[in-house]
Amino acid sequence: MIPGKYRSVSGRAASNVEFKLNKETPSFPGRLLQHDLERNYSSRQGDHINLVSSSMPSFPILQRSSEEKILYSDRLTLERQKLTVCPIIDGEEHLRLLNFQHNFITRIQNISNLQRLIFLDLYDNQIEEISGLSTLRSLRVLLLGKNRIKKISNLENLKSLDVLDLHGNQITKIENVNHLCDLRVLNLARNLLSHVDNLNGLDSLTELNLRHNQITFVRDVDNLPCLQRLFLSFNNISTFESVCCLADSTSLSDITFDGNPIAQESWYKHTILQNMMQLRQLDMKRITEEERRMASVVAKKEEEKKRESHKQSLLKEKKRLIINNVARKWDLQQHRITNIATNQDGKDSDSQDHCQNDGSTISAFPEETGSLDSGLTSALQGLSVTDTHLVEVDGDTLSLYGSGALECLDRNWSVQTAGMVTTVSFTFIEFDEIVQVLPKLKIKFPNSLHLKFKETNLVMLQQFNALAELRRVDQLTVDPQGNPVVNFTLWKYYVLFRLSHFNMQKINGTEVTQNDMIMAERLFGILAHVASSELPQYHLISILGDARKKQFRYLLETKGKKPGIVNEENNDSKRLVGESTNRATLNYTTRDFYNEKLEEIKEKKKFCKMYIEDLVKEATEINMKNEALQKLWPQMFIELVRDAVMEIRNKNSYMKLCLQQITDQK
Amino acid sequence: MLSPERLALPDYEYLAQRHVLTYMEDAVCQLLENKEDISQYGIARFFTEYFNSVCQGTHILFREFSFIQATPHNRASFLRAFWRCFRTVGKNGDLLTMREYHCLLQLLCPDFPLELTQKAARIVLMDDAMDCLMSFSDFLFAFQIQFYYSEFLESVAAIYQDLLSGKNPNTVIVPTSSSGQHRQRPTLGEASMLEGVEASLFYQCLENLCDRHKYSCPPPALVKEVLSNVQRLTFYGFLVALSKHHGINQALGALPDKGDLMHDPALDEELERLLAQIPGLVNSVTAGPEASCLPARTPPRVGSPWRPLHHARKVDAESDGSTEETDESET
Repeated sequence: MIPGKYRSVSGRAASNVEFKLNKETPSFPGRLLQHDLERNYSSRQGDHINLVSSSMPSFPILQRSSEEKILYSDRLTLERQKLTVCPIIDGEEHLRLLNFQHNFITRIQNISNLQRLIFLDLYDNQIEEISGLSTLRSLRVLLLGKNRIKKISNLENLKSLDVLDLHGNQITKIENVNHLCDLRVLNLARNLLSHVDNLNGLDSLTELNLRHNQITFVRDVDNLPCLQRLFLSFNNISTFESVCCLADSTSLSDITFDGNPIAQESWYKHTILQNMMQLRQLDMKRITEEERRMASVVAKKEEEKKRESHKQSLLKEKKRLIINNVARKWDLQQHRITNIATNQDGKDSDSQDHCQNDGSTISAFPEETGSLDSGLTSALQGLSVTDTHLVEVDGDTLSLYGSGALECLDRNWSVQTAGMVTTVSFTFIEFDEIVQVLPKLKIKFPNSLHLKFKETNLVMLQQFNALAELRRVDQLTVDPQGNPVVNFTLWKYYVLFRLSHFNMQKINGTEVTQNDMIMAERLFGILAHVASSELPQYHLISILGDARKKQFRYLLETKGKKPGIVNEENNDSKRLVGESTNRATLNYTTRDFYNEKLEEIKEKKKFCKMYIEDLVKEATEINMKNEALQKLWPQMFIELVRDAVMEIRNKNSYMKLCLQQITDQK
Repeated sequence: MLSPERLALPDYEYLAQRHVLTYMEDAVCQLLENKEDISQYGIARFFTEYFNSVCQGTHILFREFSFIQATPHNRASFLRAFWRCFRTVGKNGDLLTMREYHCLLQLLCPDFPLELTQKAARIVLMDDAMDCLMSFSDFLFAFQIQFYYSEFLESVAAIYQDLLSGKNPNTVIVPTSSSGQHRQRPTLGEASMLEGVEASLFYQCLENLCDRHKYSCPPPALVKEVLSNVQRLTFYGFLVALSKHHGINQALGALPDKGDLMHDPALDEELERLLAQIPGLVNSVTAGPEASCLPARTPPRVGSPWRPLHHARKVDAESDGSTEETDESET
């Protein structure tokens, strides 16, 4: 009998190595070369196995003693026999278990006669190709681990296969196993698999070991109705999408992913748990209820986030398109690009004739606004969108693109949103149009301190006068693009001068220094002085307009008071007006308004002209009469005197005449 | 005062020549426009102020272009105002483009036409490279000529073209050889020997023009002076000469001599005072900044109640005495 230590650990029946027929000799020899084998055969066996010179001269022939045969009739162990080829096994047709572990066999041969074989173990050999198994129709366990097999093939007839172990080989592809409908365990660990598919047909498979491969994606697992355990440790799986078929497998209860890149991800655990509710163990650890709950919570959050960001990117894209659209319309308006004959441009060509495009070609208000606003989270991203203009609130910046966007100032803004806005950016809008909504801006967005203008057609220094009516501006950015005024040497100084009461901090990103202020005053101070002090008062007042009028008059009246006495109520208004009085006359009226005004005045002018003409006519008539009188007067005077003298010549008759006149009167 | 010419003209023409009616009409128009405001402090006062400002030359500030252009006095006042307001820009030494000068003009007159500024720039730049930078004094004097004598200059341009093309309203047709030479040459602005027109010929045409022109012209004597220095000259050469001529400048009376262009002691003083009030500088911060600033910023003239008229500063070279009706006191 074989001493215990020589029994193989896995429990497979270890039988005596039967090369030597002498039972006393130790069963596991040292080095036994092939020719030794032959010698042994020939020398010791009771039955005298001769070295048969068979048709294949290199194959040894194996024979066992009849006692061995009877004792272990169904099993034969040839472990660690330094075999390089499979020996011919004669007379063992009932063999059911054959163990060739730990040899150097390169080809599976000479076992086709063992047609009752159920268990074949060729672990740790040098087999390069699966072959020679086509007659073993009863084979149930085939162990080919740790060989050099490159391809799964030639298993067609092994329909009863229950366990197929191909670990530790060089297999790159799962194939030719689809007929193994009884296979329960498939071990393909430590191979060169890069992906898993082609698993259909393995209807009994319960365990699939794919550890230590290079797998990047897994497919077809949902076609395995019995699969319970799937080991994917130490592969190259990095996303859940690459193993998403696992979610569809209802039978899976045990899965491992450790050693994959996916296991390092923050979302790993809950994604797996969330998508594979049927799991009981993950990475060899039981999944608790708590974990599941956490997973679903986190998964929900992730889902939301994803939806959110998707929405955001959609919005961004839309925004980009609209801005492009607005830019194009703007360019058309500015006659910068020629008109291409399309439907839309047909409308634009009309508006090209007059520079002011009020967006009259555009359809109704944005209906989408409502749904968008409600759908978005409280991340303070407000977006109002149509084809032709864009309004965007992003934290502290309100961005307006296109002249239609100015209408947004009429909307009801929540106090919180409006209060947070400190920067207002105008793009693709005519400055003259912006001027008209500045009062609204002042009211609706009281904290706006930084104004940005790009492509707004700022061409004259005078236009900056319009900004004076705002409450306060800390920063001004005028982008050279579309604003010719920036090309002027003096524009910054003019801005500083006209808006000196704002104490601006920055213009176009550069800090305003004391020297800048001094220079501004130096350049334009006299203009202010002339504009305020040398204007006739009626003109001054009519320019300043109603509100200021009162303040100004108040100031003039209080000018005489002692400097120390300041009326508390009017402190603010005084301060405001006082600082800007001498510049207050520098206003800006948009060209249209100006022309309108001039038109209105025409009527008056005509009237005045006529009136003056009448006056002149009167005056000239009077003058003529005067001159005529001057000419005629000497003559008239002489006549008067002559008449009087002649009357009085005869005193008596004169007296009579006078009395008569008196009585006649009565 | 009671000169024979004055009495010789029929009334209406006399008034028209002195542009009295323009001012009357404008005054009444202004009155109508602002009747609510003006009625509060009296119509008589309004008229006083109005004509005062006309005399002082401040009536054209922020008025529409049609008014500014209406009379020679208005034009001169405008030039003077422009000089006074933006002298500091010139003093600073900045060279500006034509567009920027136009901007400055627009600060005083919102609808000032660009063509005038362009024409003025052409004089300075000799019709070359219109985007060039110009100095304040160059621009100002050229602008003066262009603006004050704009109608005259148009006629001169026409005459010049006629002369260039050989047609001469006054004298016999020039022999074909020289007219052929003229035609060969490209038009204005090239530097060559026989460009432009002959000065004396030119002067004769201009003299005729001045006689029959109803718009203002430079004094013929001075024009003769300009033309006598050269043999031939181009149109823009002529204009440049006009703009640089001291005599013409003085005859106009709006601007000081070129040498004195940057000097204006009164306003300089004012400027210093304003500069001292810039917040952040040492002097200005006091307890009641507004009240103490006010008197300096708004000099007495504006805020004070009714004052007797004072004698106007003579801006226009034509001096007219005041008639009985308007003269109340002479200080």
